[in-house]
Amino acid sequence: MASNAARCGRVLRSVAPSLLGVSLLGLPMTMHAANNCAWLNEATASGLLGGSAVGEVTEAAGQPTVCEFTQMDASAKRTLRISVEVVTDPHERVGVLEKGCGGNPTPLKAIGNEAASCALSDRKIAVGKQVIGRVRDQVFIITIASTLKNDPVLQGDALDSKIYTAAEQVAGNLF
Amino acid sequence: MEKTESEIAASCGRFGGNMRKTASIAFSIVGFLIAAYCFDSLRAQQASPQQDAASLAPPPSYTPPAKGAPPIEDTPAQRDAIARWKAKAELATNAARKQYNAEVAPAYNFHYGPKNPFTPGNIEVQGEGFLQPGAYPSAEYCGTCHQEAYSQWRQALHSNAFRTPFYRTSVNILIRDKTRGISFARHCDSCHNPIGVLGAALTEDSKVDRAKFDSDGLTCTTCHSVVGLDSTNGNSSVKMGVPAVIVDEKGERIPGEVPFDMILRHPERHSQAVMHDFLHKPEFCAACHKANLPATLNDYKFIRAFTAYDEWQQSKFSQRNPLTFYTADFTTCQGCHMKRNPISLPDYGAKDGTLVSHRWLAGNTAVPFYYGFDEQLKKTIDFLRAGNYLNVDIFALKKAGSDKLIAPLGRVAYDLAPSDTVDAYVVIQNKNIGHSLIPEVRDLYEAWVEVTVKDSAGAEIYHSGFLKPDGMIDPRAHSFTNRPVTDEGEFVDNHKVWTIHSVAYDNSVQAGRSVLVRYQFRIPANVAGAVTVTAKVNYRHLRQSYLNNIFGKDHPAYPVVEIASRSRVLKIGDNEPEAADPADNPDWMRWNNLGIALLDQFQYAESVAAFTEVVKLRYDYADAYTNVGLTEIVWEKYDSARTAIRKALTLSPDNARALYYDGLLERRAGNTEQEIADFRKVVENFPQSRDARRELGITYYQQNMVAEATEQFEALQGIDPDDLTAHYNLSILYRRQHRPKEAAEQQAMFVDKKVDPGAPTYGLNYLREHPEISTESIPWHIHSDLTAQGGTANGK
Repeated sequence: MASNAARCGRVLRSVAPSLLGVSLLGLPMTMHAANNCAWLNEATASGLLGGSAVGEVTEAAGQPTVCEFTQMDASAKRTLRISVEVVTDPHERVGVLEKGCGGNPTPLKAIGNEAASCALSDRKIAVGKQVIGRVRDQVFIITIASTLKNDPVLQGDALDSKIYTAAEQVAGNLF
Repeated sequence: MEKTESEIAASCGRFGGNMRKTASIAFSIVGFLIAAYCFDSLRAQQASPQQDAASLAPPPSYTPPAKGAPPIEDTPAQRDAIARWKAKAELATNAARKQYNAEVAPAYNFHYGPKNPFTPGNIEVQGEGFLQPGAYPSAEYCGTCHQEAYSQWRQALHSNAFRTPFYRTSVNILIRDKTRGISFARHCDSCHNPIGVLGAALTEDSKVDRAKFDSDGLTCTTCHSVVGLDSTNGNSSVKMGVPAVIVDEKGERIPGEVPFDMILRHPERHSQAVMHDFLHKPEFCAACHKANLPATLNDYKFIRAFTAYDEWQQSKFSQRNPLTFYTADFTTCQGCHMKRNPISLPDYGAKDGTLVSHRWLAGNTAVPFYYGFDEQLKKTIDFLRAGNYLNVDIFALKKAGSDKLIAPLGRVAYDLAPSDTVDAYVVIQNKNIGHSLIPEVRDLYEAWVEVTVKDSAGAEIYHSGFLKPDGMIDPRAHSFTNRPVTDEGEFVDNHKVWTIHSVAYDNSVQAGRSVLVRYQFRIPANVAGAVTVTAKVNYRHLRQSYLNNIFGKDHPAYPVVEIASRSRVLKIGDNEPEAADPADNPDWMRWNNLGIALLDQFQYAESVAAFTEVVKLRYDYADAYTNVGLTEIVWEKYDSARTAIRKALTLSPDNARALYYDGLLERRAGNTEQEIADFRKVVENFPQSRDARRELGITYYQQNMVAEATEQFEALQGIDPDDLTAHYNLSILYRRQHRPKEAAEQQAMFVDKKVDPGAPTYGLNYLREHPEISTESIPWHIHSDLTAQGGTANGK
């Protein structure tokens, strides 16, 4: 979790020159090792997605850092995606992102400096929810989605609760 | 449709109830797996801070037994059923624990060795290895029958001990620290998130699902599962039992959740499992409300960080310390912070319709403000204002060019003229707080004095302690804070406690004591009408700069609470005595508080003079003479001290406080027999008096009475495990008794705990860099805007 942030930071510092080279080539660097997401560990993601999830972290210069956890079973593919970027105008950026969010964003109390949730309207998924928020100048987007319509794991209040939990974990580790 | 938490909780309960009736199913492993699934599903949903008792299942029906009724006798079949349940529960819990350890232990960072998995915290756990988070019955399970307690707990700091930004920001810095990391955070999380610590969550590459416990901090079954207190050393010095909500007829614990009807049939066994007697005692609170920074954390040495427990022990409320200036009824931590109130929600733990508060009202306004817990915030503010905790007394005036103290203000006549330069003496008494003002992390909390002087039109003549537009406090305000510094003399602004090496100053006011704050201002030459002086003690849960560290500068203003205040109108011309305000202290106490404040500011002559005024007002009050005597002892005026103490003992021959000081005087006079007699009498009456134990130990030591001295210093260590005198003397005494191992341990503790002689220089470095507040480090100082040229610093 947060220790992973420190570890990831150390790794990144040690590989900074290479990272720079990679970014100059315009290629994203993907760290496939499990559990190296700085804001949510794989065990927690697995609990939220209702089964064993596999995580992947993508970092690229100038792009938001992304952790994506995927849980698959016979009926559905469930994903939990966290995207974090550091910006100079975080409040405005959150506002812009919320405008692009499906439905009317609902403000969430006690998540970071500010946060709101909204339903996803992506056609590729059957059910999903998103939280957009920030901790200081770190803007995050958290998405939980499933390809299964009426997914019993990610429905109604349970989905609301799960994305709130994910948001609380992510914001807590961003503080 | 997805079940709500309450429905799931209810179905878990119903499931368990049915299981009892069908033995073959009820006690099957499958049943446990289903119960565990119910439990896990329920826990995964408890994230929203808006969650309250409305989300709980309705409590099962229950008729409490009549008062004095004996416990229900079980039939042999019922006893067998419980025994089978217990056996299966133990089997399931142990198996789950074993499997859990097999999963988490290999990746765990045993930074302090395999025998110290939770160091630098002091927490321990019953049984072998880590304890799985699923072993703790959930708050919702408890809340089904304890809805009032649940709803209060959900808004209280204990349930939010881990997840708040105010904590996470600090602990994240430690976790991200290059030379430390998450293993070191066990020091903090042992109190803030014990389930995580005991469950091996605090390691790199954690395999633990944090969603199951992070949002509950200290859940019901953390406090109520503690089976023993290790010591009064703090840093979570408890032993956590395997959580159980009921015991069997032999008093043996049955782990995990059980069907509600099992509890409702035997509420006395439920109490036996979850209501240990120590829950009512301050020593239990001490486990976490006492903290030190050990060398295992800071790579430096032991530093006592805070100890509300010892402060309480030294206060009048403990009745353990004979040396307090005032007396009071015995009151525990729980007596103030867990007061019994009428319930508004069903709660089977209520007695006569009342329940001890699980809000733990104190000074925590930031957390309910952040989470929108309006009821908790309101009750917290009411608590801070309602307790008669502080007394603010604009006690005296002193005009420039005159040595005469116009005091007590309001009770004597005086005159005031335009252009007079005036010193106002504001005495602030920590009257009814059982610990210091401010307690605990006083580098983060903020209480300060705001003084205004205004003319009759409301125009400001003088203002100290104002909030600046950026939310920061006037840097020259008198604040009850401390300034922890690093070994570079830098202020530790963000609670990086492992970098603290010293404090530049500590202006907290201990329980029962008073502080004198002096303000100087000039009455304008053209003043019209009277001027009004107002002194307030304000409080903000967290310093503005710390809030800025957490949120950046664009956060809402956090609540500032006025805890106590007093105004006085000063007429230009003649002022006559006036009737006292009902909230004012009586005159003798006003003088007494001034004497105490002056004593603490090393103004001994003035202190004796103030205590002598108390004698004039209460000639039969023994403590007034003792106060004169003790001040003279500190002042090294032993002859006059002896006269005062003798007078006190004449008035009150068995007065332990006077006897203690008499013992010191007898030692000075070489009357060892009387010295011992005095101290022994104090110890007999106050066996937990650390001062009397220490002095009696020293006396015996000086008389080479090794066994007697050892007994006293060991008793002293039982009261205060950090007492340096005890460590030092025991190291010598044990050596004389041919106990080298114990002697070496005491010597090591003495070396580790004694103040680093170089530490004060770190504070001086800080003060040199910050002249705007360096005055605050000097006990006898005055707040003034006036310059040597006669103007004011702000140009007025």
